[in-house]
Amino acid sequence: MDDRSDPCRSIARREFLMRAASGTVLTALAGGLYAISDHLTSEAKAQTRDDGRPRLPPGQRVIEQLKPMGGVPGDPSRASFRLKVHGEVESPLELDFAGLLAMSPVTRRSDVHCVTGWSVLDAKWKGLTIKALAERAGLRPSARHVIFEGAAGYTANVRLREALADDVMVAWELDDHPLRRQHGAPVRAVVPDLYFWKSSKWLTGIRFVSRDQPGYWETRGYHNHADPWKEERYG
Amino acid sequence: MADGGIPEPPRPPRRPKLKLRKWLRALHRDFGYVAVGLTFIYALSGLAVNHIADWDPNFESFEREYTVSTPLPTDDDAAAAAIVQQHAGIEGEPVDVYRVTDDLLEVTFEHRTLHITLGEGKVFEEGQEPRLFIRAANWLHLNRGKKAWTWFADGYAVVLLLLATSGIFMLPGRKGLAGRGAILIGLGIAVPLVYLSTVGSP
Repeated sequence: MDDRSDPCRSIARREFLMRAASGTVLTALAGGLYAISDHLTSEAKAQTRDDGRPRLPPGQRVIEQLKPMGGVPGDPSRASFRLKVHGEVESPLELDFAGLLAMSPVTRRSDVHCVTGWSVLDAKWKGLTIKALAERAGLRPSARHVIFEGAAGYTANVRLREALADDVMVAWELDDHPLRRQHGAPVRAVVPDLYFWKSSKWLTGIRFVSRDQPGYWETRGYHNHADPWKEERYG
Repeated sequence: MADGGIPEPPRPPRRPKLKLRKWLRALHRDFGYVAVGLTFIYALSGLAVNHIADWDPNFESFEREYTVSTPLPTDDDAAAAAIVQQHAGIEGEPVDVYRVTDDLLEVTFEHRTLHITLGEGKVFEEGQEPRLFIRAANWLHLNRGKKAWTWFADGYAVVLLLLATSGIFMLPGRKGLAGRGAILIGLGIAVPLVYLSTVGSP
């Protein structure tokens, strides 16, 4: 008998198709329900920032805690921590952890946005602003960009004007706890208004430069600027 | 022989049998065997890293908070660290014992850090345990080690090209390029093209 006229085979195929269709519909419904019940995202979408932009950039959903996003870890010990502030500055610095603590730490609350689509609102960071570090090192007028240097050669570039904003900092506490290893302990950069890969973890240096130098992800296809409100995800 | 009957008509000369497919099958089979190990490593790592927003493919993170009831000395960091270590049941020597502030002691182990508030005996412990297989697979996939692995990775890429190319011509007829094969190859090429043209492109 020809396979094509076998009724058993025909029914089995019909049954398979019906089950596949049912599964697809159920998955879509579950996804829809999940989206509707995501009240954190809905609330954030209804809010506006002081600068007039919506609080939640397009394509983002709100979650409650930072997610670990990988990377080659650096030394998490505060004892061996050193931060170089160098490049286009009058007096290059090398600070240990005690040196950071001695520089009047500040606390800032900010929203952070990951390029993979999650955002965390009102993260509470304790650390030092880049502006304070730049003032201490004596920024030269030739400086135009900041390169954050992390463990294992990681770098991220940020325009100077944006790096000197009041909420851009090096941070060692998140939500009243020491920064966890997975989030770049002992110290990471925090650049809230750019996608979060710019906020280098396991920070080892801050280099001021006159010419832009695309960093690790920027040279691997991600956007050089990374503004979440313009969805500058890929270059 | 013509005696006793009509002689058979002469047969057309036989075309020499094409051995190319036989060779292709043999190459496909053997390169396929060679590729098994690396395919598992690259495929599993690819799945793991594709979903990095949902889980950490390299480490399993943990944290806990507890209080040590024994009073902790404020003038002997090593002794305070030892008391907490014993209380927490942590084995091994600390990598670092560091007094962050007058009241805060940090004890670093290879895979965990203890942040101890000496006055209250409060401990915040956090750390990461590496996921052995998948971390090693990711390390290879992302070519973190560079050096000779670049050669192996290039070789694997060439083997994949050979497998794909030999696969195209391996079967004759309707299940090969003359039928189903062509349709499925077209489908495979169309998926990225449709994605690029509809969802997005660089």
